Amino acid sequence: MVNPLVILELVERLSAVPAGSVVTVPLGPDDEGTAADTLAAWCARSGNELVDVREGAVTVRRGRTPAPPPGAEGERPPGTRLWMYTNFDCNLACDYCCARSSPQTARRALGVDRVRRLAEEAVGSGVSELILTGGEPFLLPDLDELVAICTAALPTTLLTNGMLFRGHRLERLRRMDRSRLTLQISLDSATPEGHDSHRGHGSWERAVAGIRIAQDEGFRVKVAATLPAAQSHKLGPFHEFLDTLGIAPEDQVIRALAHRGNADAGIELSVESLVPEVTVTADGVYWHPIGADDTDQLITAEIFPLAAAIDEVRRRFTDQRAHADAASQWFPCA
Amino acid sequence: MVGSVAYTPTVVTIWEGIRDYFAGTPAEMDFVLFSNYGRQVDALLEGTIDIAWNTNLAWVRTVAQTRGECRALAMRDTDAVFRTVVVVRAGSGLSGLADLRGRRLALGSRDSAQAAILPLYFLARAGLGNGSVDLLRLDSDVGKHGDTGRSELDALRAVLDDRADAAAIGINTWESIGRDELMPGAFEALWESPIYSHCNFTALPALSEERATAWVEHLFAMDWENPSHRPILELEGLRRWVAPRLEGYETLFEAVQEQGIGPRW
Repeated sequence: MVNPLVILELVERLSAVPAGSVVTVPLGPDDEGTAADTLAAWCARSGNELVDVREGAVTVRRGRTPAPPPGAEGERPPGTRLWMYTNFDCNLACDYCCARSSPQTARRALGVDRVRRLAEEAVGSGVSELILTGGEPFLLPDLDELVAICTAALPTTLLTNGMLFRGHRLERLRRMDRSRLTLQISLDSATPEGHDSHRGHGSWERAVAGIRIAQDEGFRVKVAATLPAAQSHKLGPFHEFLDTLGIAPEDQVIRALAHRGNADAGIELSVESLVPEVTVTADGVYWHPIGADDTDQLITAEIFPLAAAIDEVRRRFTDQRAHADAASQWFPCA
Repeated sequence: MVGSVAYTPTVVTIWEGIRDYFAGTPAEMDFVLFSNYGRQVDALLEGTIDIAWNTNLAWVRTVAQTRGECRALAMRDTDAVFRTVVVVRAGSGLSGLADLRGRRLALGSRDSAQAAILPLYFLARAGLGNGSVDLLRLDSDVGKHGDTGRSELDALRAVLDDRADAAAIGINTWESIGRDELMPGAFEALWESPIYSHCNFTALPALSEERATAWVEHLFAMDWENPSHRPILELEGLRRWVAPRLEGYETLFEAVQEQGIGPRW
């Protein structure tokens, strides 16, 4: 049991602060053991939120956690979308690739069996959308089967560089379910120079051709660009170009260059700074697709059961938010 | 214009919420916050505010100063069934009010009905008046009529520190520490008083029946099940607003008279 004086102190201090504020009360040497249970029970009973019990102190927030900011996890809670890295090898070797993909990269394919089980478990775990990425998924000989499994379960988006829509790969594309699949093709600029400088000579032209093929085949096509922050002034002409390609405004995705993988510059992203997007590779479950080749974002090597992995991501995210909120309360500078 | 005493920063949140709830209705309102109940009742008498959110002692004093012309408009459901609880250390061996004879009782602020005035009234009814109990007065929130709960928490600390054998506190403070259920080895209730009334919205005849009725009707329409109303109700500590239970003030009127508590501060 906790020293009753701690509860009295919490009652008094919390009554003197606005809802949403946190207070920290020191615990005594006698407050180990079941103190945390008593404090948790008191918080549940009094309508307050237990933030933390550690290092000889208890931190409690008055009332409930404030609503999440719009556009963050409020609209898309962690686990709503499930990312799958189908493979890590690629026909390109982009100099900023967060997954360190290239023709020399080992495939590390997720495979039909795991994709099938993931799709099945995703449905029962509250996932509402599947996203397949790589690597370049169209290098896989069984991609049409993987996509069919996914689209049968949930609406699916497939990320590709759009450069391989020929021969048997085009035939695979044609077998995919247009009503359930969106293709997201990477294109970084309105003219070849910017795109080709990172992805290789001639890649822009083939990507634009791929966009047109996919559209002609009846697929909804999103275009995703990766741009250094310094090039943000070039967005206007780029959007105009995408308009001429018939890409709907909501399907024009611009993302900042991240300092991850092969990139030697870009914004720094960490578990602490990213709202999670549960991501599965052949190696395990990761916090976010941007860090799917980095051990700092590995949540667990156990992919199954998927629900447990999603719960773990959510738990860590909730803890992280609570600590960040607590820290912001503890360090007012004025 | 409604007056309330700012005994915690949350009072601002509560009254901004209530003001927003009334916005756009025939009974729109604004509010003024006071630092103590004395100033608030003065403002009601002067006409600066139309309605005062009064404690039970502020109500009794307003009645005294207006010779009964003021009226109560509404209260919280929790105000109609308020109690005082006398709390002792678990395992103290004390079993009733009579066991307090010759022992030390910690009281809250002297202007707190629940933690000072009414406990003395009930002690006297139990034959424990005139110095038969050794009183430890903890006047840590005078002016707020005990609304901060601070003096009641100080009374409980006095019991833990063995500066007192028992503490007289309000039922809300007893609930706030989890009664005797959360920390079963710490405290236990020695005695609970009969129910009495606590706060109410007090108005003077200058506020017309028509305006008062419109305001009270909209107040009563606040709904616990409505997600936009509920946070305010939770913060203010009620599930629904109810008509005032005036008979619940009789004990305090008698206590104030017996103890010679004046009508002004």
